[in-house]
Amino acid sequence: MLHVLQVILDAIALGSLYALVALAIGLVFGVMKLINFAQGDYITLGAYSLVVPSASITPPLLFGALPVPAMIFSVVITCVILALATERIAFRPLRNSSPATLLVASFAVSYFIQHVTMLVQTGRPKSVGIGSQLANAVEIAGLRMPGVQILTMGVTLALLIGLVLFLKKTPLGVQMRAAAENFEMARLLGIRADKVIALAFVISGGLAAAVSMLLVVQTGTLDLRMGLMPVVIAFFATVIGGIGSLSGAALGGFLVGFVSVLLQTYLPADLRPSRDAFVFGLVILTLLVRPQGLIVTSAAKERV
Amino acid sequence: MTASKTLTLAAAATVVAGGLLSFGAFAADHPIKIGFAIAESGWMHNYDGPPFKAAVMKIEQINKAGGLLGRQIEYEVIDTKTERERSATAGAELVQSGVDLLVVSCDYDFGAPAALAGNQAKIISISQCAADPKMGVQGVGPYAFTANSAAQAEGIAIAEWAIKKLNLKAAYVLEDTTIEYNKSACAGFRAGWEAAGGTIVGEDSFKNDDPSIAAQITRLKNSAETPDNIFICSFTPGGASAIRQLRGAGIDLPILGNTAMVDNYWLNSVPGLKDFYLAAFMSLYGDDPRPQMNTFVEDHRARWSEAPVSSYSVLGYSLIEQWAHAVKKAESTDGEKVLGVMNGFSDEAFLVGPTSYSSDLHIQTNRPWLIMKVENDSFKAVEMYRNELTPDMNLLFRIGK
Repeated sequence: MLHVLQVILDAIALGSLYALVALAIGLVFGVMKLINFAQGDYITLGAYSLVVPSASITPPLLFGALPVPAMIFSVVITCVILALATERIAFRPLRNSSPATLLVASFAVSYFIQHVTMLVQTGRPKSVGIGSQLANAVEIAGLRMPGVQILTMGVTLALLIGLVLFLKKTPLGVQMRAAAENFEMARLLGIRADKVIALAFVISGGLAAAVSMLLVVQTGTLDLRMGLMPVVIAFFATVIGGIGSLSGAALGGFLVGFVSVLLQTYLPADLRPSRDAFVFGLVILTLLVRPQGLIVTSAAKERV
Repeated sequence: MTASKTLTLAAAATVVAGGLLSFGAFAADHPIKIGFAIAESGWMHNYDGPPFKAAVMKIEQINKAGGLLGRQIEYEVIDTKTERERSATAGAELVQSGVDLLVVSCDYDFGAPAALAGNQAKIISISQCAADPKMGVQGVGPYAFTANSAAQAEGIAIAEWAIKKLNLKAAYVLEDTTIEYNKSACAGFRAGWEAAGGTIVGEDSFKNDDPSIAAQITRLKNSAETPDNIFICSFTPGGASAIRQLRGAGIDLPILGNTAMVDNYWLNSVPGLKDFYLAAFMSLYGDDPRPQMNTFVEDHRARWSEAPVSSYSVLGYSLIEQWAHAVKKAESTDGEKVLGVMNGFSDEAFLVGPTSYSSDLHIQTNRPWLIMKVENDSFKAVEMYRNELTPDMNLLFRIGK
């Protein structure tokens, strides 16, 4: 029984992390029909901003040396600026292009950021000892809870609630939802596209910053490809959840993380190395059963 | 490239000067040429760069001491940009330009395409640090070598040593299944561990880019039989992340690792790490029991204004040393003659340690290892250890169970 509870706890923690990434992907897709693969590079760069950019494999800390609130603020600002810059330079000129063009553009942006980072930081993974106390686990009633798992769940919950309140209760949030629903109609009604889209990127940058810090505390390492896997998973998550639906994206991210922990736990040893094949197999199965995703928005319905 | 040009000029000047003295001496005086088809950009550069620097250092030392067979050595580098296709073209280009030795990337997948070009032209090619036995006769051809030991031997060495010296008996194996190298190291560990009388009480796998190994930790904590140590075959960053999470979960068992986890650069991930052991090539921290290794580090510092970034660099130094030794013995740079000498190496003494090759095995299987442990946030040399079990062909190529 205890074992099962522990597995569920592990699964919720990973699911929460993926939900955060999926939320960012879903948000930007909602307003712009852009599947932004560069989201992974916002995460990577946010993490790298903790250390001084250099070729050294044991670099001194940059933002990581600041007191925690200042560190969080600096990383968030870094990711937000990066997200806004990519929007302004790469995505805005392509706004009226097809989603396929946008997708290709996001790959280009992602490769560009990756290679510039590699040029400055080299491709060798680095290590940072930030938040090591958080990586330690506390045992509560026999359940092992690493601080970072609790933090991940807490941050996800807080950001999710914050985002829902923002979207439902503030004028800006309502504009954003309107734009996600029917972009042209929203524009005709006087909503400024630039503002809404920029805002979506600001939020996605903020989410990337949260994920990057959680990943660093969890793994203690920096790597050029650290944002890649979460974003690939988040992409599938948004598809399962129902593309264009924010709650769907969060739910999808959560489910993929949850299921991958369950598979890791309950698959026989010989099949465990192929865990991801099962995860993505389930993704395909879900789409066969529910091609429109788990949660269907009215915007998506019209397209079908 | 600039260094290569300067060297070419210097060599050309020598040739011209020699030619002035005696025209007949030209043939003997024209420089020996070594080609490097390695990554100077892309992620592989971080693994190719350090051994390359040490190789250059050895070439310069030979030149300073009067050259090889009385001839200066010049070198040329073609960047493979961490691409397999470019590795093939770089190899072919260097072969065409008439190199006498071809040095290729630190990995079978990225080094083999270049080495194939060398093999076809009957030119010796040596990978800087591929740990896969395929980088040799079976996977490329009779002229291909690697300067490294087989990954299986890393696993065997640390298994035997831990049983003998740490009195450990029950291992839990955590295998990172991302690349073949890890699987080979784990296969070696299992074989060495069981041959030395240990039992494996549990196994699990993970992927290098898994953000969390919480599920694996839960299984380990609920293992039916309690292990007295954990063997992890992985590499950074995933390996560092796994160890951080294990220690964070309060698992204080000794952890044994494979050689890719050597050197201090990742220790920030696990501040205060203790009881972590692995089999390494050498120590970069001045405490290697072999004084010549400490000299190597000092020489490197003098030449490149920094100590080697990675202890894999000694492999680059030693591959030049090995080939030069064979050329001297063969009194020729002819591929076939040099191959004959190299295939006859039996515990030949080089900086990196005794080295043996045979006509069907071009990788080391029981070169002595430096056992290292982590203490006070640094790797420390413990002692030299030579694995007793030598992996056979089935284990080296992971045939059967």
